[in-house]
Amino acid sequence: MPHNSRALWIGLLVTACLLNWMNSARGQAPLPRDTRDAAIFRGALVFANYCVTCHGIHADGNGRAARLYNPRPANLRLSDKNDAYLGLIVKLGGEAMGRSPFMPPWGAELTEEQMRDLVAYVRSLNERNDTPQ
Amino acid sequence: MSCRHPCLAGLAAGCLLLACGAAPAHAAEHVLIQKDKAFSVKKLQAKVGDTVKFVNEDPFAHNVFSLSDAKSFDLGSFGQGGSKTVTLDKPGTIEVECAVHPDMRMVIEVSK
Repeated sequence: MPHNSRALWIGLLVTACLLNWMNSARGQAPLPRDTRDAAIFRGALVFANYCVTCHGIHADGNGRAARLYNPRPANLRLSDKNDAYLGLIVKLGGEAMGRSPFMPPWGAELTEEQMRDLVAYVRSLNERNDTPQ
Repeated sequence: MSCRHPCLAGLAAGCLLLACGAAPAHAAEHVLIQKDKAFSVKKLQAKVGDTVKFVNEDPFAHNVFSLSDAKSFDLGSFGQGGSKTVTLDKPGTIEVECAVHPDMRMVIEVSK
């Protein structure tokens, strides 16, 4: 069942984030809300809830719905876009940015903070060394 | 000779009537409203050939899609007052979702 699969992925991701946080926070103060790590943590949750269907749990463009689209959803690990551009795609959707019309506009669904967190999370996954931030 | 054409016309008319009788009933259009981040029905019974019209009555965009074997589609994003229609061309179960609102789900049962 796709719904159960999504719940499972979210559960695994939350658990992984919590374990990571517990390890890094051992003997330290709680993660301050306005740090980059906190934004990445929150962004991972947003990503798991809204983005994995198309972009996949690894953000490589291989989500379960990817087969519906040509071109396929972006491999976010290899994106060459800067944070501002990524933020606009998230907020306005693909069509408004001259890209895939199947990338929905998330501006009415997510808060500004959630969208910033999402960009921070995607940035944290990026495997390119030449991408401007 | 003069009666041959009326006879042929009658034969053709009869064939047409038979063909109409053998054809499936007129396809129905089902209208599904999307309001308050929910589909107006959770389960819809339909026939092959029917259409389903998705109407967005929320003040924000929805993005209806399905990955089911009976029908895979993505209607894209459409805002308030917008609508998109999909034709049911195979029997089976179609799980319909909204890409923007993961908790929005419904099922269409398509029979022959």
